[in-house]
Amino acid sequence: MKKKTAKKPAALKKPSVRAKKPVQPEPSLPPMSLSFDGTLATKTGTWRYLTPTYLNKLAPCNEACPAGEDVEAAMVLSGQEDYIGAWEKITRENPLPRVCGRVCFHPCEGSCNRKEYDEPTAIQALERFVGDFAFQAGKRFSPPAEKKNEKVAVVGSGPAGLSCAYHLTSLGYGVTLFEALPRLGGMLRYGIPAYRLPKDILDQEIDQILALGVESRTNCRVGKDVQWEELKTYDAVFVAAGAWKSLSLRVPGEDSAGVMSGLTFLKKVNSGEEVDLGKTVAVIGGGNTALDAARSALRLGAKPLIIYRRTKEEMPAWGEEISEAEEEQIEFIFLSSPLRVLAENGKVRGIECLKNLLGPPGKDGRREPRVIENSNFTLAVDSVISAIGEAPDLSFLPSPLPKSGNAIPVDEAGATSLEKVFAGGDAVAQPRTVSYAIGSGKKAAMAIDATLRGENTAEAIRLARWGGKGSLSMAGYRSGEGDGIARQVVQFPELNTAYFPRQARKPKERLTPEQRKKSFSEIDRGLSSSSALYEAKRCFNCGVCNLCDNCFFFCPDLAISARPDGQGYEINYDYCKGCCICVEECPRGAISVEVKK
Amino acid sequence: MKKLLTGNSAISLGVMLCRAEVISAYPITPQTTIVEELSEIVADGRLKARFIRVESEHSALACVAAASAAGARAFTATSSHGLAYMHEMLHWTSGTRLPVVMVNANRAMGSPWNIWCDHSDSLSQRDTGWIQLYCQSAQEAIDTVIQSFKIAEEVLLPVMVLEDGFFLSHTSEVVDVPEQNMVDSFLPPFRPRFKLSPEEPHTFNIMADPSMFIHFKHDAQQAMNQAKKVIARVDREFKARFGRGYGYTGNVRMSDADVVLLTLGTAASTALEVVDAYRKRGKKVGLCRLRMFRPFPSEEIGRLLGKAKKVAVLDRDNSLGAGGIVAQELKAALYGTVKKPRIFEFIGGLGGRDITPRDIGEIFNYTMSHSGPDGAPVWMGVKK
Repeated sequence: MKKKTAKKPAALKKPSVRAKKPVQPEPSLPPMSLSFDGTLATKTGTWRYLTPTYLNKLAPCNEACPAGEDVEAAMVLSGQEDYIGAWEKITRENPLPRVCGRVCFHPCEGSCNRKEYDEPTAIQALERFVGDFAFQAGKRFSPPAEKKNEKVAVVGSGPAGLSCAYHLTSLGYGVTLFEALPRLGGMLRYGIPAYRLPKDILDQEIDQILALGVESRTNCRVGKDVQWEELKTYDAVFVAAGAWKSLSLRVPGEDSAGVMSGLTFLKKVNSGEEVDLGKTVAVIGGGNTALDAARSALRLGAKPLIIYRRTKEEMPAWGEEISEAEEEQIEFIFLSSPLRVLAENGKVRGIECLKNLLGPPGKDGRREPRVIENSNFTLAVDSVISAIGEAPDLSFLPSPLPKSGNAIPVDEAGATSLEKVFAGGDAVAQPRTVSYAIGSGKKAAMAIDATLRGENTAEAIRLARWGGKGSLSMAGYRSGEGDGIARQVVQFPELNTAYFPRQARKPKERLTPEQRKKSFSEIDRGLSSSSALYEAKRCFNCGVCNLCDNCFFFCPDLAISARPDGQGYEINYDYCKGCCICVEECPRGAISVEVKK
Repeated sequence: MKKLLTGNSAISLGVMLCRAEVISAYPITPQTTIVEELSEIVADGRLKARFIRVESEHSALACVAAASAAGARAFTATSSHGLAYMHEMLHWTSGTRLPVVMVNANRAMGSPWNIWCDHSDSLSQRDTGWIQLYCQSAQEAIDTVIQSFKIAEEVLLPVMVLEDGFFLSHTSEVVDVPEQNMVDSFLPPFRPRFKLSPEEPHTFNIMADPSMFIHFKHDAQQAMNQAKKVIARVDREFKARFGRGYGYTGNVRMSDADVVLLTLGTAASTALEVVDAYRKRGKKVGLCRLRMFRPFPSEEIGRLLGKAKKVAVLDRDNSLGAGGIVAQELKAALYGTVKKPRIFEFIGGLGGRDITPRDIGEIFNYTMSHSGPDGAPVWMGVKK
């Protein structure tokens, strides 16, 4: 034992150099642990179980636009003060930016993510700015690159017909517009008052479309001035004749002198005809026609009384129209229904009404009015404008085309049951707005093109889808890059709002109510160039990479680099370890995460 | 050139003379004036360096470590809680073998709140792989900074230069500031073999698996062993050029001393006076000031103290549950030696309490009058 313990220290005292050397020579180490192949040798991508990808998503404004405008792209370009580029983006989809910039009910703003933060971006005002800017800069539509032999007849020259004509012409087709009234524009010209849409602006927009080579035949009512048989000589027909038939009040005295429909009144005013309303005019209805009629009557010097059977809450007119009418001190008489028109010598002298209560909600969710017995009251008026709704006049259509109620039945591609006959606008069952009409005209153009080229029309339309709300992209259709996959729409929580200061929306500059009462001058004065740029820059650019560099700066693995085409970034998955800091730091939710290697 | 300088000011000038290229620090009393003066030196162009402001000491050391990895001569300074906050990065810096030089102005660790000197901050970091050199004077502080860059860059280990907070950091003394050209010829530019560079890419601190890890640690230990020789050689070279040398220890009247007082830092200056007074009275007392605490000069100190009968260790720190840290280190160093003096342990000067000549006298008297320690350290100024 003693010997053994004595030997141990001796063994330890061996020359340390020899003791250190194992049988296999140790590799010579650098003083610190470091790689010799550089960073690239460590492929941290193998650690990844979450995978970020650039998945340009759909901005909610794009999805919401019934005309299928690439709003988001136009906002990016406007933010770079490239208003011409923005105009080109918009007019790729919609030939009427100056019209929509004035009269569209802007569902884009209603779905704008910015409204969750402060106030929605002023998209509509910016569209108007872009349209006016491009027009004043002399920008006009480019003529079609090719000419096709096929010819298409378009019945109706409202927003649907104009949109269809524009897109078909751009695709190379010959187009003839058939318009029953003396001038083109349909409801844009004859329905919408000049204080909302100045006629010179409309003329300029229409002239641009005609300049592409669109033929037009005005004062040419189908079934009267031209027969359906002649339309059948065209390779395809698009029916967008609108909804011009006013619903009757169905009360006694309705046929007295001084009673007219809202559309008749507006058509006269917009045609420059003299209309004598007397001192006081009762306007029946709560929709846009009623409000346009009442506000036009005010400008003609009459005192309008809007009689509506429900309350302000249930009015189908747009909020802006209602608030502007209120500013103009137009009187509303709610919860009242006309019982009879009182006439003297066949001439209106008053209107007798009944008061209503609101009952439970009806089919459309709005509370139904219930008449209160013996609540009769009388208003002394000199004229009555009835604006309780419109329906399409489909009497000109050939008998084989079924007419279901107030609309021409169409399939998802806008095709009727007649071969190569398509329909859109207010004549079909869809919301009766300018932008929906424009969207349906575009859809018809795609469907007609696909049909005439012998392609599967429904599939072609499906591939051009923007999002889940039926909007279509002509750019996607024409490039053939549309995949028809309803792209994910960016929601507000996906944005990193830390990058966006809170900024108030630029209020509209408008004529004062006093100024408005005197003339039909346009109320809205539009955005100044500085306000337009401010609004464009307020845009979150939801879901789309706008080259802000954040992902590039934040990636701890240097796995993100600019794409060779300079149009975005790409991720090197050999090194991306899936920390997803890029996803978090992308201000606009343009990067998505997938749970996979 | 001779100047009247505080310890902190002397250190700032030393860093300037060493041409540090990156300085990053977070201010903390009593270190603050080092950083303040250096920021002015950098701002007015006397030193061409990047002065990087950071939000914490952890970041400060991470910053200079990264700069050092990129091949820059890097300096930082801190104190007490700042040093504690650096703890993780202290390990990373030494583990990466980065020749960073740091000055720590010694200050007590809270709680209770205290801004004054003791050694508990730096001695708590003794196992982080840094060389630790404790200074006694402003002159020694500036000289040690200059030596430290040379030592660090040769052995690839970081060096912590320690100065007593306020006693040294804020006390003015006459300092002979070396000439720039002299320092330049003493300290060549830092040219690391490996550095972070886009031209020759390396990943520093890649993972070392169980088969490799121990080799890096062993290599670092070898470097620490080598550092002893390098520290001695650099000190000799420094003395040859500048006329001042310091050794591992500062020894006074040690050759025939029966009772030796061993301590760190400025307390040794006070003890010097007492030793002289006791010698006049015929008491064979001596003084050993431990300058190099890491690497610990076990063999040298064993030889040095082997001649004494008794050694009184004055610790300006205490490891709760174990005692003075210097005393423990000394006892461990003496364990394998043949001639072992008796070790008397004293704890004093905590949290900035003065160590007066009277205290030193008490320590000598106690040690001389007792045949051996009574088992537990004596807490100076604390009633039993």
